[in-house]
Formats: sequence, structure tokens, C-alpha cells
Amino acid sequence: MLSRNHDARNAVEFADFISRRRAKGTALAALAFLIIQGILHPVFRTDAYAQSGLRSYMWAINAALLLALILPAGGLIWGRRVRELVNDDVSRANARTAAAAAFWVAMVIALGLYALPVSQAMTARQAIYLIVLPTTGLAPLVFAWLESRALRDG
Amino acid sequence: MGDELKNRLRDERARRELTQAQLAELVGVSRKTINTVENGIFVPSTVLALRLARALGTTVEHLFQLR
Repeated sequence: MLSRNHDARNAVEFADFISRRRAKGTALAALAFLIIQGILHPVFRTDAYAQSGLRSYMWAINAALLLALILPAGGLIWGRRVRELVNDDVSRANARTAAAAAFWVAMVIALGLYALPVSQAMTARQAIYLIVLPTTGLAPLVFAWLESRALRDG
Repeated sequence: MGDELKNRLRDERARRELTQAQLAELVGVSRKTINTVENGIFVPSTVLALRLARALGTTVEHLFQLR
């Protein structure tokens, strides 16, 4: 019984530690992504950088990885108990809220792009980039903020 | 429909001299869940409300009230 209680305490404390680390890591990854894209903006470049096949896809791969951070999955090495505690109802609700916020931002940007004059028309890739970039940056940031708030003592 | 859910979770937990982590262990949830319920950020499911009440030796009606 003592061992079971000890394991339960360890699981709760470890899950708390992992959740805090995930919130910080998610926010840092999202900020790094937005800053790097702000500097490189690969989809709008016409120089040699944009000609490289892999480079032109890297931002999309990074965006997909970033979105994966808010999925209630992963952490196989922690064991089932810790995984359940980290990806609990609160985290799943936070992920849903973050996804909903990103959805509305995507819709507003998409409608704004559609309303642009024809003379400012852009390629489909550029339009997708302008929609996906802020939303994939926003969703993890909102998730990280909600998680940090949930973990704040008091 | 404008009712607000209030709870006495923090008071009841403190009365039993339990930390958030200890109550989380008893209930089988994360400390984050206890913290968000106490602060009114997260509305617990019926199952969780029943488990909290059982762990604290009280009733759901005593723990949670509509105001």
C-alpha cells in the first residue's frame, strides 16, 4: 500500500513537472517558429534559398510538428499513468480552446485575403502560408498559456 | 442560465490538511485538475465531482453550489 501511494505521488509530481516543461517548451517552439519564419519567409522569396526543394517544405513540416505538440498524445516513455495525468481533461479542453482560437484566426485571415484586390493576387502557396503561419503559431501559444494558467499555484 | 458554479474544494481540502498533490493522488487525477477546479477555471465532470466528494468524505452538493 505504501509503495502504491508512493508511486501515485511520484506519478502526480512527475506529471506536474512534465506538464510545466511541455507548456514552456511549446511556447518557446512556437515563438522560435514565428521568429524564424519572420526572418526567412521562404514562400515569398525568389532567390536561391526558395529554389531548394527541401527548404520550401521545411516550414510546412515544422508547422505540422508544432501542431502535433498540442495533440493529447505522445509520452510513451513515461508510462500510461503519467501520460493520462499529463493529457488529462484539463489539457484536452485547453487543446480544444487553442484549436478553436486558431480556427477563427484562420477564417479571418482567409476572408481578408479573399477580399484583397485582384491586382494583389498571390499564389495558392503564398495564401496558404499566410493562413497557416499565424494559426500554427497561435494555437501552441494559446495552449501553452492555458496550461501555464492551469498549473499556476494558488 | 446565468448561474455561476462555486465550490468549497479549497476549504474542504485545507480542512483535511491535504495538499493539491495529495488530493490529486487520492482522486487519481493531476494536480492541474485540482488547481483548475479550485480556481473555477475548469468545471469538473459528474464523475470527477463524485470522486472529489468521496475523497473528501462529503457530498457533491456540499462541494459545489450554483449561485
